[in-house]
Amino acid sequence: MDADGTADVLVRLRDVLRDSAVEEHDWDAVEAETPIESLGFDSLTILDVLYDVEEEFGIALDPKQVVKTRTVGEIITLLQQNGA
Amino acid sequence: MAESRRVAVTGLGVSCAIGTDVESFSASLFAGRGGIARLRSLDTSEMKVGIGGEVEPDFVASGLKRLRRRPTDRAVDLGIVTAAQALEDAGLIDGAPPYEPQPVAVILGTAVGAAESNTTLQQRFAERGVRGLRPTSVPRVMDNAISGGISIHFRLTGANFVVISACTSATNAMGTAYRMVRHGYADTVLTGGADGFFDPFYYGVWNNLGVMSKNPDPARACRPFDAGRDGCVLGEGAGMLVFESWERARGRGARIRGEILGYGESSDASHITSPSAEGQAAAMRAALTSAGIEPADLGAVNAHGTATLANDVCESGSICAVLGDAAEEAPVSANKSYFGHTLGASGAIESIAALLGIEQGRLPSNLNLENPDPECRVRLVGGVPEPLERPFVMKNSFGFGGSNGVLVLGLGE
Repeated sequence: MDADGTADVLVRLRDVLRDSAVEEHDWDAVEAETPIESLGFDSLTILDVLYDVEEEFGIALDPKQVVKTRTVGEIITLLQQNGA
Repeated sequence: MAESRRVAVTGLGVSCAIGTDVESFSASLFAGRGGIARLRSLDTSEMKVGIGGEVEPDFVASGLKRLRRRPTDRAVDLGIVTAAQALEDAGLIDGAPPYEPQPVAVILGTAVGAAESNTTLQQRFAERGVRGLRPTSVPRVMDNAISGGISIHFRLTGANFVVISACTSATNAMGTAYRMVRHGYADTVLTGGADGFFDPFYYGVWNNLGVMSKNPDPARACRPFDAGRDGCVLGEGAGMLVFESWERARGRGARIRGEILGYGESSDASHITSPSAEGQAAAMRAALTSAGIEPADLGAVNAHGTATLANDVCESGSICAVLGDAAEEAPVSANKSYFGHTLGASGAIESIAALLGIEQGRLPSNLNLENPDPECRVRLVGGVPEPLERPFVMKNSFGFGGSNGVLVLGLGE
């Protein structure tokens, strides 16, 4: 694992994204720089991501902050800022 | 009333226990191969009944992968994957997304709707209260999730709604679609139905209703019109059809696979579950009038034929009342012995069976009809396929709530 745990968070976040998604993607290829929009999430379905993040990480993220994120890496940053 | 146009069927898609495309469905149907078995996807150890007609395990997963979708709900997923077949058969899409928007309406039947999603959320609510409900619970459980999901996925911009009338749902939906095309409100409609309900809650409520066969031999359990019948067998599946104005279908060189000639409907207005011969007969007469044909023109009747004690006697009586002497010349076939009662999809899957029979000039055998019930005084197809003498078939569907829907189907030429 990398020093700040980013890789571990990414692996767990990939699972969350996959389980919340409507569209199928190559989830193993999802990286920090992957745009959220390219995975088919919108302002509604991103709420499911928030819900599943809370289930997986035990962290409640602020929806207003999450809807501003543009990449997977920005969600990881939010998670880490909140203790992941 | 607005203009009156001929309504062509230009696309077919089907998934049920005897096939996951039109070719395999047709092959099983005319070879007399049924698909009822012990349920694999559901623990029925605490239930009185444990059989049904399941779609082969990999069908939905591989179909969704091809469409680049994640699973959402069993009925929705069955509907979407089967809709792709019909749209491809009609030449309206070609393979995987992205798709261009096109003015096609989506009018589908379902009896149960998003059963899997409902059951999952009920369990989560029971365990965790309101915190167990996902933010997207509303779009997951709403009854029009099937038509909405299909419209969005394939970018079909015509009207999009579901018709819910228990086991008549798909036939009512197809009747509505037929009228929309016939009278010029739509040129093309994707119609039919989907249901997938093999989960503890929905199978459980049917188990407790007491109308399902308790025959220990799954292959012989569903016996429409047989004296030894003891109830229905449930099945999951979807049937999808593309209805199109004759002019548009011809104009674009589409393969016309059949014609919808007429539609009739009625309500028993008597009992929530017991059928009424008068109500059924009224719908059949309305369908024949709509089609402009006489009973003697009919080549066959594709019955609702649930194999419950009540339905088959009642339906036989109503068929005889409507057809009179012509009932002798219109053999009755019932397809539920092959794939079970697919509830809100049944009218669509069985209409596809009827259209394939018209296309091929034959009627499938009545599987498990070994000793016809003397109280069912219709002329029944026997244990082997029969020639279809005249290419006009009446398709009956009757549902709890007293809803009756009847289509008249013909050859696409």
